[in-house]
Amino acid sequence: MDLGDGGYRMKAWILRSLRKGIVTTKFPAGKNEAVSPWSTIPVYRSGDRNPYCPSSAIKDGSVTHGSCISCGMCFPNFEPSMDVHTSQSGKVIRELGKSIKIYAIDSGSCGACNLEIMSLSSPQYDGTRLGITFTNTPRQADALMISGVLTEGMREALLRAYDSMAEPRAVFATGACAISGGILGKSVSTILNTDVIVPGCPPDPFVIIDSIQKLRGRQ
Amino acid sequence: MSQPARIFLDDGEGTTLSRFSETPVHGPVESNPAGNVESSIHPVGTKLTLFPYGPSTGGLVESVYFDILTYGEKIENVSYDHTFKNRSIRVTGLTPREGLLRLERLNGVHSASYSTLFCDAAERAAGLDIPEEVKLARVAMMELERISSHLFVASRLTGGASQNIAHMNILLIRENLLRIIAARFGHRYFFGTNKPGGLARSVDLDGIDSDIEKISEEYGEILNTLLDSRIFIDRLDRTAIIAGEESAGPAMRACGISVDGRQFHPYYKDLSFRCVTWGGGDSLSRFIVRSHEIAESARLIRQVTSKVLRIRESSEDFPPVNDSQAGGFMETPSGDASIILRFKENRISRFSLASPSQYNMRAFSRSMKGNTFADFLFGFESLGIWISEMGDIA
Repeated sequence: MDLGDGGYRMKAWILRSLRKGIVTTKFPAGKNEAVSPWSTIPVYRSGDRNPYCPSSAIKDGSVTHGSCISCGMCFPNFEPSMDVHTSQSGKVIRELGKSIKIYAIDSGSCGACNLEIMSLSSPQYDGTRLGITFTNTPRQADALMISGVLTEGMREALLRAYDSMAEPRAVFATGACAISGGILGKSVSTILNTDVIVPGCPPDPFVIIDSIQKLRGRQ
Repeated sequence: MSQPARIFLDDGEGTTLSRFSETPVHGPVESNPAGNVESSIHPVGTKLTLFPYGPSTGGLVESVYFDILTYGEKIENVSYDHTFKNRSIRVTGLTPREGLLRLERLNGVHSASYSTLFCDAAERAAGLDIPEEVKLARVAMMELERISSHLFVASRLTGGASQNIAHMNILLIRENLLRIIAARFGHRYFFGTNKPGGLARSVDLDGIDSDIEKISEEYGEILNTLLDSRIFIDRLDRTAIIAGEESAGPAMRACGISVDGRQFHPYYKDLSFRCVTWGGGDSLSRFIVRSHEIAESARLIRQVTSKVLRIRESSEDFPPVNDSQAGGFMETPSGDASIILRFKENRISRFSLASPSQYNMRAFSRSMKGNTFADFLFGFESLGIWISEMGDIA
C-alpha cells in the first residue's frame, strides 16, 4: 500500500506513541508518581518552631496553608510534607462528579500557576479521564480557577466572568497569591467568595487534581 | 548584518545601562524603546472593524488586552495594553533576600534566570566573589529552564496548529523535565533554590546530563517529523515577520542577528555553545531557533556536569552592603534582561529592570499588519512573550 508522505509521517507518530506505553497516572485512585517537594506544605521537623517566614505563614510549629509561598526559608526547622492532599473545599457539588468545565483566569500571576493548571492536559495527568476539561468562556464553565493576586485591572474582568457563570458554580483560589495575596498583593477573596483553596506556590498538578475531586465529592 | 539596537535601561535618576553591560553609567539616555504602552488606536475607517480581544480569554495564557483593527480577514493594526494584570511589585526598601523572593515571582516561568540576574548583581555590589561551582549550578538551572520554556512555546505552536500528537508528545517531555527539575532542585520552577551569596539548598547533578540528553534527542525526533509536515510549516511560514533590531533573544536571532547575552556573560566564559541563528524573522524561524537551542542547552548542561556534580548550599550570611550599586544582564529564555541595583544600609534603595518581553511585544504589535486573524496566535506565541515580566517593578 502506498502511504505517501503523510502516511509515513502518521506511521512515525503512531510508532512513537506505542513505544511510550501508558504514561498516565492512576491518581487519585493510585498514588502520585512525583511531586514538587517545596510546593507542598512544609511540616515541622526540629529546632525553632517559629523560624523566619516572609509571608508570616508559620506560627508555633504549624503552617497556614494558604499563606505559604514555597520559598523554603523555614528549612531546616521545617521540611516539605510531600502531601498532595492539602487543598480544602468549602462545598461539594456532586452534579459535577462526571464532568467539570473549568475557566482559568489570571488575576495577576507570575505565570507558574497558569502553567501548572494547564499541565492537567498533559498526558501524565490527562484530566479528561476524570471528566476535567477547560473551556474558553466562563459562560460554559462550572468553575472559575483563579491564579495570582487581585490586581485593580483584573477586578472587573473577574467579577464579570463570575457573574456570567450559571449555577451551580465554584471558585478556586489557586496558589498562595490568589488565596492570601502571598507577598505580592491582595487575595481574590476580598471580592469573591472562594470555595476551594489550592495551596502551593505554585500548587503541584496533583494538588490541583485533588482539589477538583474534593469539590466534586469524589474523595 | 543587522545589529541589535543599543537598548538602554534608565533608572529614572540619570543612571543608565547599555545592553550586555554590567557597569551602570551616569549620563543621558540615548534611546529607550522599551516599556511604552502602545495604547493609541488607529481611527476606525468605514471598512475597518475594531475587534477587542482579552484581557481574559481561553486562548491566552496570561491576561492581556488587544485591540485588533481589521477589514475582514486581514489585520490592519494591533495595539495592546499589558497593564491589566500589573502587580506593581516593590523591592526598594527590602533586604537582598526579600528582594529575591519578588524577583523569583516576577516571571515564575523564568525564575532561575531572574533570580540569578538579581543575585549576581547583588553579589557584585557587595564585592562578594562566589565559588565557580555555584556559577555552574546556576548555569545548569538556567539551561534547564530554557529547555522547559522553549518546549512550552513549541507546545503552544503545535497545539495552535492542531498538530495534536506532536503537541501531546511535547507536553509529555516537558512534564518529564519538570519532574527531573523538582527531584534535583526541590521545586519545578526553581523557587527558593538561589540566594544572594550562593545556593539555598544543596544540588546533586549526577546523571542529569543523560536525562536531559534523552529529552533533547526525543524532541529532535519530534522536530524532524514536524518539519516534514507541510500543514505545520504553512501555519508558521512568513507569519508575523519582525525586524530584529528592536527585539530580544530567540526572536532577534531568528532575524539572522548572531547575538546572545550568554556570549558576553562571565558565567559562560569557560563553556561553549553555538549561537543559533536563522533568517526570515517569521514565526517559523523563531520556532526553529528555539528548537535548536534546546540541543545547545543540553550541551551546556553536559559541560557543567563534567566540571561539577554536587554543589553544597551556602551557609554564610550575605555581607552587609552599603552605598553600592551594580548593573547586570542575563539571557532569559525570551531574551536578555537588565537591571540596575543600588543598596543603602543593607537595603535596596533603587531598582530598575528591563525585560525582553517589553521589546518583543512591541515587535509583535508592529509585525501584525497584513497578517490574518489565524496568524495572530502563531505570531504571539512564537515570540515567547510573558506579560508578568512587563509589569512595573521598582
